[in-house]
Amino acid sequence: MSELIEKIGICVERGKVNKASPFPPDMKGLDGADEYTKLAIEAKTSADAILQACNDGMQRVGEKFGKNLVFVPELLMAAKAMHAVMAHLKPFFQSGTVKTKGTFILGTVAGDLHDIGKNLVSMVIEGNGWKVIDLGVDVKAPRFIQKISENPGCVVGLSALLTTTIANMANTIKEIKTTSPTTKVIVGGAPLTAGSAQEMGADGYARDPQAAVALLNSIGVS
Amino acid sequence: MTDKQWELLKRVVNGETISPLPVGFIVDCPWLPNWYGCSILDYFTNDELWLSANLKAMNDFPDVMFLPGFWSEYGMCTEPSAFGARCSFPANEFPHAHRVISSADEINSVEVPNPATDGLLPFVLNRLKLAQPKIEAAGHKIRFAVARGPLNIASYLMGSTELLTTMMMEPDKVHTFMKTITTFLKNWLNLQRETFPSIDGILLLDDIIGFLGEDEFRTFGLPYFKELFDPSVQIRFLHNDAPCSTSAPLLPKMNVNLFNMGFDVSLKNLKEITHNKVTLLGNLPPRDVLAKGDAIDIKEKTINMLATLEDKSRIIVSCGGGMPPGVTSESINLFVKTVQG
Repeated sequence: MSELIEKIGICVERGKVNKASPFPPDMKGLDGADEYTKLAIEAKTSADAILQACNDGMQRVGEKFGKNLVFVPELLMAAKAMHAVMAHLKPFFQSGTVKTKGTFILGTVAGDLHDIGKNLVSMVIEGNGWKVIDLGVDVKAPRFIQKISENPGCVVGLSALLTTTIANMANTIKEIKTTSPTTKVIVGGAPLTAGSAQEMGADGYARDPQAAVALLNSIGVS
Repeated sequence: MTDKQWELLKRVVNGETISPLPVGFIVDCPWLPNWYGCSILDYFTNDELWLSANLKAMNDFPDVMFLPGFWSEYGMCTEPSAFGARCSFPANEFPHAHRVISSADEINSVEVPNPATDGLLPFVLNRLKLAQPKIEAAGHKIRFAVARGPLNIASYLMGSTELLTTMMMEPDKVHTFMKTITTFLKNWLNLQRETFPSIDGILLLDDIIGFLGEDEFRTFGLPYFKELFDPSVQIRFLHNDAPCSTSAPLLPKMNVNLFNMGFDVSLKNLKEITHNKVTLLGNLPPRDVLAKGDAIDIKEKTINMLATLEDKSRIIVSCGGGMPPGVTSESINLFVKTVQG
């Protein structure tokens, strides 16, 4: 059983989604996260243990990313592999066997169609045990506000890549804070710094997905 | 750019140390319409306003090289529109293009557009043609053929996450896609050069480069950029304000001789990485200092930045990336004055 858990962690770390996936080239033709998770569940491995393996795998690839040993495409593949695991775990979340840490509403702000950072954060945070509501790209403030009202106690994440959409991010935070002052808002994206995040009224800034997880776990768990 | 500015640019790029150091900025929407006092939509749709805004910037700051100068464009919609992308133009926001395909399976259905007739490109070119007499009467010439880079366009057409994961899963399909886009871009750049013989520079803007590791960039970026940066053109200018430490050593191999980077890397560092073979346009933090800093901040940070450079050849002092929204005339004048000592 522990061998399966270890293999799930390795598949997540290396971005091996399933047997059909040719990536990474040195694991071509081998089983992936999808197959090993199925086997682990059949072997009555606890969902918590599988989830922990995912987190460990993402943690390792996140550390490599921080050291410039892997780059965004590899990180996206790791997140994709983790997503394959999460598809098997969904029933455990729905039944309450595994408890979510909270609800995280995420989107790229109005005028910005970049989704890399947002998708990475979405998948990594979901793998960390949060329920993620991904609103997509080019999301205007009223849409965030509507979702916040439907999910009391949620945390909101705003993403942007374009310098030109930073103003929209600031406006979105302002509108959210006006209608829902206690809702925590965290931000991330290439043009931002901790200083600019603070200046626009965000409750936190994360420079990468792992930092987003740490931030969310520190400010978001009630 | 005037003849004098163009000659100065070529001298810097050829390695001559200029004193005082030249100052240049990539200037485009949304800074220009906001600074000029018109809406972004008016700027894009009214050729007179577009020309007046550009001329005013050049007249107000005669010591600044505006790059590419008289940039006729429709933001991120420019090239994707030729591929059939739906384009959104909110009244006073930067426009954006929507995806054309939703998966790698559709890559083969993407055709090479005709830049003379497709999307917004005829409007881009015709605006410049109509304005050309007034531009030249004001002492300037059209110097650059400009386009978004191939990775950037690919990311708009299929989504950046899909593009990057398809590189890992189905590399052959990404090569097919990149070849289609590169063929289009070569035609588009050539059409601009044929229309305006004064063009002797190419500017490509591509921040997707910053998300790739060296292996991926060598595979999916380098060969296509090399093809696009025609070495017969004198100034081969790349803008990538996403991370660049992985790709910067390859700039000479891409045929790039002028580079505008993001603010997170120092000029000194980049000089070392590129072995001083590439002219650097940067690198004051654009938002935190140039747009939001007070006079003391701008002056101090500019002096500190210049003090890090032992060798001042191949430097055009600027901010990292393009001019950010909200930079005032006073800040630009102070920046220029500080650089000029």
